[in-house]
Amino acid sequence: MEIINNSPKYDVIVVGSGAGGGMATKILSDAGLKIALVEAGPYFDPANADQMTQLKWPWESPRRGSGTTRAFGDFHMSYGDWEVDGEPYTIEKDTSFRWWRSRMLGGRTNHWGRISLRFGPKDFKSKDYDGLGENWPISYEDIKPYYDKLDKLIGVFGTKENIFNEPDGFFLPPPKPRLHELFYIKGARKSGVTVIPSRLSILTKRINNTRGVCFYCGQCDRSCSAYADFSSSSCYVIPSLKGGTVDLFTDSMVVEVKTDKNGRATGVSYINKKNGREYSIKGKIVVLAASACSSARILLNSKSKAHPNGLGNSSNLIGKYLHDTTGTGRSIFIPELINRKTYNEDGVGGMHVYSPWWLDNKKLDFPRGYHIEIDRSFTMPQYGFGYNPNEFNRFFGLKVGGYGDKLRQDVKKYYGSTIGISGRGEAIPRKDNYCEIDPDTKDKWGIPVLKFRYKWSDHEIKQVKHMHDTFEELAYNMGGIALGNKPTKEQNYGISAPGEIIHEVGTTRMGDDPYKSVVNKYERLHDVDNVYVVDGGPFVSQADKNPTWTIMALSWRTSEHIIDQLKKQNI
Amino acid sequence: MDRRDTIKNILLGSIGSSVLLESCVSSLDNKVLEKIWEYQYGRTPEEKERDDKFLNSSFFSESELKTIEKIANIVLPPNEFGDINDAGVVEMFEFIAKDWSTPAHNKYGENVLRRALIVFDELCIEKFDSKLLDCSESQIKVLFDEISYEDKSLKDQKESVKLFATYRGMIVTAYFTSEIGIKDLGYKGNTPNVWDGVPDEVLEQYKGIVSYDKEWIDKCVDQSKRGDIAEWDDKGNLIT
Repeated sequence: MEIINNSPKYDVIVVGSGAGGGMATKILSDAGLKIALVEAGPYFDPANADQMTQLKWPWESPRRGSGTTRAFGDFHMSYGDWEVDGEPYTIEKDTSFRWWRSRMLGGRTNHWGRISLRFGPKDFKSKDYDGLGENWPISYEDIKPYYDKLDKLIGVFGTKENIFNEPDGFFLPPPKPRLHELFYIKGARKSGVTVIPSRLSILTKRINNTRGVCFYCGQCDRSCSAYADFSSSSCYVIPSLKGGTVDLFTDSMVVEVKTDKNGRATGVSYINKKNGREYSIKGKIVVLAASACSSARILLNSKSKAHPNGLGNSSNLIGKYLHDTTGTGRSIFIPELINRKTYNEDGVGGMHVYSPWWLDNKKLDFPRGYHIEIDRSFTMPQYGFGYNPNEFNRFFGLKVGGYGDKLRQDVKKYYGSTIGISGRGEAIPRKDNYCEIDPDTKDKWGIPVLKFRYKWSDHEIKQVKHMHDTFEELAYNMGGIALGNKPTKEQNYGISAPGEIIHEVGTTRMGDDPYKSVVNKYERLHDVDNVYVVDGGPFVSQADKNPTWTIMALSWRTSEHIIDQLKKQNI
Repeated sequence: MDRRDTIKNILLGSIGSSVLLESCVSSLDNKVLEKIWEYQYGRTPEEKERDDKFLNSSFFSESELKTIEKIANIVLPPNEFGDINDAGVVEMFEFIAKDWSTPAHNKYGENVLRRALIVFDELCIEKFDSKLLDCSESQIKVLFDEISYEDKSLKDQKESVKLFATYRGMIVTAYFTSEIGIKDLGYKGNTPNVWDGVPDEVLEQYKGIVSYDKEWIDKCVDQSKRGDIAEWDDKGNLIT
């Protein structure tokens, strides 16, 4: 294909505008560098009325919000989910993986749960504790200053708890618990499960004069038009565009990183999705932040004489050690919550309380921990609400089924009486869980696609079994009953399919040894001195903490390193 | 009344009688319908195209739509908040029938939603010698009394019972996701507010079961200072 080459030379080309790419764009452009930011999806601004779904009512959608075109429902703010039209991926037989992609400015930060947890000291050195996996080449102390700066820049609510592996930060005050969360607190305390206020990047208090304060609609998954929650679009990219040093390329799908005859990067090529033609951009440095698997795909597709099996892949480890968070959940029915008085209990978009990992693995039959999340119970109806209108009658020995006003009364009686809880745990990264290029399949742009191979091991399966045992104990101590049946051994105890928790990381892992890792501790490819990866790819291990806060702290650290290297004229 | 209801009422002639409106209504074509029947909820151009295609085509016949309406009004009878039409229940059936009629949905509109109407009609003919639409409300209730409960002795329920459960589920979900249904349910959110904890009268009701503890609440946001810009000391203590 003819490549159209008409762009000026940039200091840095950033690929992807989500958590890592948005962070890098902000820090690098604040330093006055000339940036090309390349995003595969369209422009998105949470405050744009034409794109906004916040505060819409279910009847404003002809399908009442059901999930035909968006997996989590019509009002959810992600363009793309585990399926993207024309952009397939393949899966090796007898294994599974589900790959979420949000094709839009800000990427997945527009819809994420805003759970903003720091990794703790133990999380960077897990191998020292259980001999499994690999240690990070950096420690908590290396990244702490960036977590601190991030807390102050973006805003995260929480409380100082002095728990060793759950480091405190610079917190905004948390919101008061909701009623069903008081039941959870009661049950957790009785069960000996630690419970503390949650830590979410939502502004319960003003942080500057450009972002609004939370007005408690509980819809952060729709992205906040007042910029009161963190999205890379609203907090990084849109403000950075005003600085005049960032050129944004939207609907631009990067194909590969271009290199010169010495193997150094000279820029990227991309498909303009509006016309299907291929273009190129030149830059001194390339920063990949397309998401762990997309960045791996770009590198593997960047073959040249100097890099015959893909750029930065002399270790043959790109795509390897892919891992996602483990997950499973259960619904708990609380008879004391039937016939509730209704009031506005939307709160923030997520839980007000949660349980960090509270046990010592030495006494358990699985490694690594999990945290427990609590869903909201008194929510705005959407398609699916009341579908089994009086199922709970079973519990009271009453008639299930029927029709008429009795049915209507049953729906109202049980509204807000169930609580969903779920576990999110740490998996052990393994070399034989990976993504690679599928030589036989191309997407609609002609770019070779990824093939996944992923299986959980006993470690993860035993961990989710423990989650379910905990859920039942919690249910009992909350004065409730766990609904449905506990998943069995044959069902792998209900563990989520890999990729379903949308925390996939590890495909370009970080290390000091170029034979055992893809990037160094500054997220730079071992093989090439002007290509960096700042998404979840460099994660050596994904703790039972959501990855976003760590992706951004690392990206900030890497961006400062890039500025420093440019100043010293090392690049 | 929201914009959709206003438009619907204009179309039905129940409000507005100006010459202008009458001339508008008489010259309605699909293009105009497309324009006025416009759901505004942050669609991408591709999603909007898909919605518009379905909003401007018909799946059910007039008599099928009337049958669904009749069933729905018996499953959830009108009350002080309104009826099935006010809740847009039939429109939702019509839309879902097209939205879910892809091979991936196993042609839900045809195989489930239309199939149910055929089965209900057959049962009515068997019992009362006429289609459901021509049966009286009390006749239909005789049928619903039979098919609206599971037979616990059966492992796999009869087709009519399963199809009735599907209709009931969709009617309930359509009703409670409508403007009147949400009023009926009593959901009070989806509006800007300041959350400052569970209301006192509700806490009072749960006294002895659950309560706020002072230590926890003291750490929570003081809503009178939410507008003050956050500042911390070196140790991370909030000082504003």
